[in-house]
Amino acid sequence: MRAFAFSTTPIDTAAGRAALADPACGGYATFEGWVRNHNEGRAVLRLEYEAFAALAEREGERIVDEAIARFGVARAACIHRVGDLALGEMAVWVGVSARHRAEAFAACRYIIDEVKHRVPIWKKEHYVDGASGWVNCERCALPGEHAATATAGQFHDHNHGQDQEHRHAHAQHAPPATAAADYSRQIALPEVGEAGQQRLHDGAVLVIGAGGLGVPVLQYLAAAGVGRIGIVDGDVIEASNLHRQPLYGVGDVGKFKAAVAAARLRAAHPTTSLAVHAERATAGNLNDWLARYDAVVECSDNFATKFVVNDAAVSLGKPAVFASVYQYEGQLQVYLPRADWPCLRCLWSEAPRDGLVGNCAQAGVLGPVPATLGAMQAMQALKILLGLTVESVPALHVFDLLGMHWRTIRSARNPGCDHSPRILQATMIDPTTLELEFPTLAAARASGLTLVDIREAWERATDDPAEQIEWHLPLSAFMQGAAALPQDGRYLLVCAHGVRSLALTEHLRSLGYADVYSLTGGLAVY
Amino acid sequence: MKTITLQYFAVLREQAGCSEERVTTSASTPAELYAEARARHGFTLPPALLRVAVNEEFRDWSSPLAANDRVVFIPPVAGG
Repeated sequence: MRAFAFSTTPIDTAAGRAALADPACGGYATFEGWVRNHNEGRAVLRLEYEAFAALAEREGERIVDEAIARFGVARAACIHRVGDLALGEMAVWVGVSARHRAEAFAACRYIIDEVKHRVPIWKKEHYVDGASGWVNCERCALPGEHAATATAGQFHDHNHGQDQEHRHAHAQHAPPATAAADYSRQIALPEVGEAGQQRLHDGAVLVIGAGGLGVPVLQYLAAAGVGRIGIVDGDVIEASNLHRQPLYGVGDVGKFKAAVAAARLRAAHPTTSLAVHAERATAGNLNDWLARYDAVVECSDNFATKFVVNDAAVSLGKPAVFASVYQYEGQLQVYLPRADWPCLRCLWSEAPRDGLVGNCAQAGVLGPVPATLGAMQAMQALKILLGLTVESVPALHVFDLLGMHWRTIRSARNPGCDHSPRILQATMIDPTTLELEFPTLAAARASGLTLVDIREAWERATDDPAEQIEWHLPLSAFMQGAAALPQDGRYLLVCAHGVRSLALTEHLRSLGYADVYSLTGGLAVY
Repeated sequence: MKTITLQYFAVLREQAGCSEERVTTSASTPAELYAEARARHGFTLPPALLRVAVNEEFRDWSSPLAANDRVVFIPPVAGG
C-alpha cells in the first residue's frame, strides 16, 4: 500500500485498515473527510476533486513520512478521492497504527492538516442554486478572502479510534493542532531573558553546508527561535551521509539537502523563516546573500568554500563561525569583524588542495564528531546573536574526541594577511539549483530568465507587482495540459509564496526542462 | 639536548601512529623539530601547509624552543 494515493473509486477503508495492522500496535486512529451539504453558507450539491497527481503524490508521501518520523508511529497512509463525489461520500481517509493511542491521534491529525494545507488538490463545489466554484488547497491560496474560504472546515470530521479508543468528534472548524513554541527554559537564563529571546527572533543566520556540521547547527538555531535562517548547499543527500546527518532518512536520498532540511525545520519550527539556496557558495553569489544576514556559520567540507565564506564575511563585516572535522578531531574558529581579530586566511594563508588534507569520504568519520563541533558552532552563533562575549581572545580550538582532549591555541592577526578576498570569480547560475533569490522583482527580470507568473487569474490584484511580468500561465492550465513552455527557454516561475512554483519547477525538470527555476518565497517576498 | 613533548593531529596523528610523544632533541626551532619528525614518521605534508603552536600559542617556524616545551603541529582539516 502506498503511503499516499489518489483513488477514482470509493475508498476501501477495510483494505486500508488491514494494511496498517501490526501486532506491535495497540492503537489505530483514522480520519474520514466527507462531502458536506453546505460550505460558507451555500448549499452544496456535489463536489469535484482534481489534483496535479505527480506533484500531489510526492507531497502527500512526504507528509506521511514526516508524520511517521515525527510521532514515531508504526504505519500510516492517506487516500484522497479525485473526480465527482456525491454528498456523504468519503473524500479523504487517513489511517495510523501505533503502539499507543496518543501518537496515533497526533499523527492522524498532522497528516490531514498538512494534506489540506500543502497538497495541490483543487475542489470544485457545485451548489444547489446551479452555480459552481473552484476552491484551492489552503497553501495555494493567498491570505485573505480565498484563504478564509479554504480554511473553513470543508469536511465533516469523523474520528474512529479503535481497540481501547473510541472517539466521535464533530469539530467542523477545529483550530490547528500545532502548539506554540515554548522558550521558557532558555529565557530563564540571565544571559538570555525575554530581551535575548527577542534578539534571537530578530536575528538572521546564513548556514553554509547542511551536512554533518550543518545539520546540528540548523536544528539548534531553529529550535532556539532564530527568526530567519538561510541554507546554502548544492549537494543531494547520499545514503553514506545518513550516519552523521540524522535530519535525513533513507527516503530522502537523491533530494537536495537544503530543501529537505528546510522542509523539516519548517514543520518543526514554523516561526523560523527559511530560505533555500540549493547551490554551492561562490565568490559570485555569496556576498549578495550574506548581506541580508547577521552572521554566517561555515559548515562546508572543503577549503575553497571556507575561504569564499571567510572573504565574504571579512568584506561585509559579518561574524563567521568556522569548523572542520577529520576522523575523531575537529577545529573551531570564530571570526569577529574587529580590527585586531584574525580571519581564516591569517591562520591558513592559502587554501590547501582538498586531497592533501583528507575529507570524510576518504578518511572516515563517526557521526558525533561533526555533531559535537556543529553544536559548538550553534552555541557560538547564538552568543553572537545574543550580544554575549563570543571569546575573550581569538583562538583555534582543537578537539580530539578519541582521546577526549580540548586544546585552545591563541591566535592573532597575521601581519602578512591584509584581510582581503583573493578568490574573485563571478559564477553562472548553478544548473542544479531549483530556487533562485533576487533582491527585487526588477533584479529577477534583469537576470536573463523569462519570468512566468503561474498564479491563477483570481489571485492577481490590479496593482499587482507582477503586472510587470509578461507571461501568465496559471498552474491549473499546466495541470490540465492546456499550457506548455517552449523547451529551449530559460524560465523563472513565480507564484505567491514559492511553493507551487517550486513544485512545478521540479515537475518540469523531470520532463527535461534544464533551465527552469523557482522564485524563492514567491511574490510575498516583495 | 632537551626534552620536548610533541602532539600530532589529524593526518599527522595517523602517519605518526600516536597522538603524543616525548622526544630528546637538539632542534632549536619548530622547523628543525618538524624536519626530524618528518624523517622519523614519513609525514607527507610540507611545513608550509601546517601551523605550529608552542605552549598553546601559534609561533613562527623559526622561533626558539626551550626544554619542556609542548609543541603541536596542526594540519588544516576541511571535513564537514
